[in-house]
Amino acid sequence: MLSQHTGAVCRPLVRSGNMVQAGQKVGDSDAFVSAPVHSPITGKVKEVALRSHPVMGRSPAVVIDAYQYSPTKQPRFERADDFDETRYSPEQICDAVRQAGIVGMGGAGFPTRVKIEPNPRLPKETMIVNGCECEPYITCDYRLMLERTSRIVAGIRLARRASGCARVFIGIEDNKPEAIEAVDAALRKHVKSRQIEVVPVRTKYPQGGERQLIAAILNKHVPTGGIPPAIGVVVLNVATVAAIAEAVLGDLPLTHRVVTVTGEAIAHPGNYNVAIGTSVAELIEFCGGVTQKSAKVVLGGPMMGIAIADLETPVTKTTNAITVLTKEQIGKAKFARRQTACIRCGRCLQVCPENLNPTKIAHAVKNNLLDVAESYYINACIECGCCSYVCPANIELTGYIKTGKIFLARQKQMIPP
Amino acid sequence: MLRDITVSHAPHISQPLSTRRVMVDVIIALVPAMAAAGYFFRYHAAVLISTCVLACAATEWLCNVIRKRPNSLDDFSAVVTGIILALSLPPSFPVWAAVVGSCFAIAIGKMVFGGLGANIFNPAMVGRAFLTASFGMLMTTWTVPATLDPAMSKVAPENMIHARTRATPLAWSKMAIKDKNGAELYNEWQFKAMVIGDIAGCLGETSAIALLIGGLYLLIRRTISFHVPLAVLLSAFVFAALCYFRDSYAYVQPLFHLTSGGMLLGAFFIATDPVTAPLTRRGMWIFGAGVGAITMLIRVVGEYPEGMMFSVLLMNAVTPLIDKLCKRIPAGGRPGV
Repeated sequence: MLSQHTGAVCRPLVRSGNMVQAGQKVGDSDAFVSAPVHSPITGKVKEVALRSHPVMGRSPAVVIDAYQYSPTKQPRFERADDFDETRYSPEQICDAVRQAGIVGMGGAGFPTRVKIEPNPRLPKETMIVNGCECEPYITCDYRLMLERTSRIVAGIRLARRASGCARVFIGIEDNKPEAIEAVDAALRKHVKSRQIEVVPVRTKYPQGGERQLIAAILNKHVPTGGIPPAIGVVVLNVATVAAIAEAVLGDLPLTHRVVTVTGEAIAHPGNYNVAIGTSVAELIEFCGGVTQKSAKVVLGGPMMGIAIADLETPVTKTTNAITVLTKEQIGKAKFARRQTACIRCGRCLQVCPENLNPTKIAHAVKNNLLDVAESYYINACIECGCCSYVCPANIELTGYIKTGKIFLARQKQMIPP
Repeated sequence: MLRDITVSHAPHISQPLSTRRVMVDVIIALVPAMAAAGYFFRYHAAVLISTCVLACAATEWLCNVIRKRPNSLDDFSAVVTGIILALSLPPSFPVWAAVVGSCFAIAIGKMVFGGLGANIFNPAMVGRAFLTASFGMLMTTWTVPATLDPAMSKVAPENMIHARTRATPLAWSKMAIKDKNGAELYNEWQFKAMVIGDIAGCLGETSAIALLIGGLYLLIRRTISFHVPLAVLLSAFVFAALCYFRDSYAYVQPLFHLTSGGMLLGAFFIATDPVTAPLTRRGMWIFGAGVGAITMLIRVVGEYPEGMMFSVLLMNAVTPLIDKLCKRIPAGGRPGV
């Protein structure tokens, strides 16, 4: 996939018939907001063609036939424990991050270099490392914190050095005491001051959203329509900081990531280190296939994930989970039940983490009153899905709001129709 | 291995709560009040409640048939309207008039607006207002509870007007304002009787304890939030307290007002109707305070001894306005400010 991030699509650097090595760059772009793509395997380029993409429908991709099965060497990080981050200049770190193609691995896929690079207009003061799982079912960040603790701590030190942030908070949900303990212990070994600290936060959904995490830790709200740097904050996922350590210390590009394969229908659910580009079908097959009648394959978790139609869709840098739901589960979900009238019970208002009025927005969109939807701050919605989840009338509030946002963007000609 | 996969947008899971379950919760919460009505007013209670429920359900069914809409009886909202209407009628109310009121409540109060969720006014209160305007005499004839006079339960409804009647506590308090004997009145009407329900009044409003149990159930089940009931009771209490401290001879104690008339039934079951109450928390405070204050205003100054019905209807009318005024501000503040 040549588009696995927010920003410009990469242009392919290889042609069909070329041989590629594991870790070789196969796509790149000159745009500032972009990230290069690397091959996780050694093989021969079959073609450069359109392939199913989880978000964009279809998108250009480099298809590589594995020349031989050669597992990429896992980086060794014993020496990650005693390195001196001041040996690396911020520019060096930013450059390594860019070259490794690192993007936000929590879901949005914003190029990390752009995030951590010092920006004189928006000075960064605080860095928050997101150790909260994005959604129920997903456990990849948790396992990462337990199994690659030193890599995460090394990455945090490097990212802090690059961004020049004075303070770093690592937000971990309080239902993961082992992760809190492990990260805290690793920190105390290397960092003497209290400039980097672990902050346990309440376990709830959507705690892993960056706006929610910032509010929970700093008690500050990111302005509506703004991004965290507006209040001097940069938020990085634990998987992202681990990738930073691998890139800077091990010179390794981002070619693998931890994916939670889960759901009631999976034979062997678990967290797997997956080569980016592996098809969902292959991954499910590797996990023992499905046991029950599965009915829905979701990239991501059950609240915000994207249901895919084509199982040849590959895992991308931002795929944190594959959730396979059973027929029974989705039969209980909203769209399978009859939608009844809104009785204005107000449950959607109470659960909205952004303090919006979902029912008003959704009904405005339904009646094609986009200006009304806008007056209720439709664009402040983070699409967490909580309103749809609680609605007793089975109204797909989140769906209406998402649709309204797209209509509104089209109306303002921000995106083509 | 994987065929017939479904594709839809997120979220892919949801909680099992349904509108029907919400309505069933309200019906469960009304059981203590219905039981109390049955205990104090015997077969009048059974006849009126079943009449109103059946008439409401039949009207809703008929309206759907006429409008060629799918049957909506399975959400049980018509049952809730029927029960609340019945509980707000005098025990001796004739069955035929209860049928008329039920039909009006559902047809004019709800279905003409487009059914559940679209009505502006509380349907049960629309029906009751219609009955008050049409049959004023019947709506203010109060019988003695069967527990005080066992003979009452044997009197047929059509002879009830000639049977022994008794004034409600609120009617007494109204007279007390003129005669300046509110303090004596409070001693005469024992507080205990008002809590248990051994007094004259509408079917379901006499027993404060039964209504409180039901209200508590709704709060625990989170079917309603505490904002509206608390705002209603608080504003009524403050209003009554101000009157009492101004002239304790004329006005009865504040607690009297909270336990008398339709105050508790209204605060927990009528004003909390989500369809006709504001959506936002701030709006709920304003709405509840308005209901409590207008009720007290009518009780103290107005012509009628009781004002819950009118105050709920009046506040229903301004609910869209309240919603507009109490717009929620996003967590991150207004954009661009």
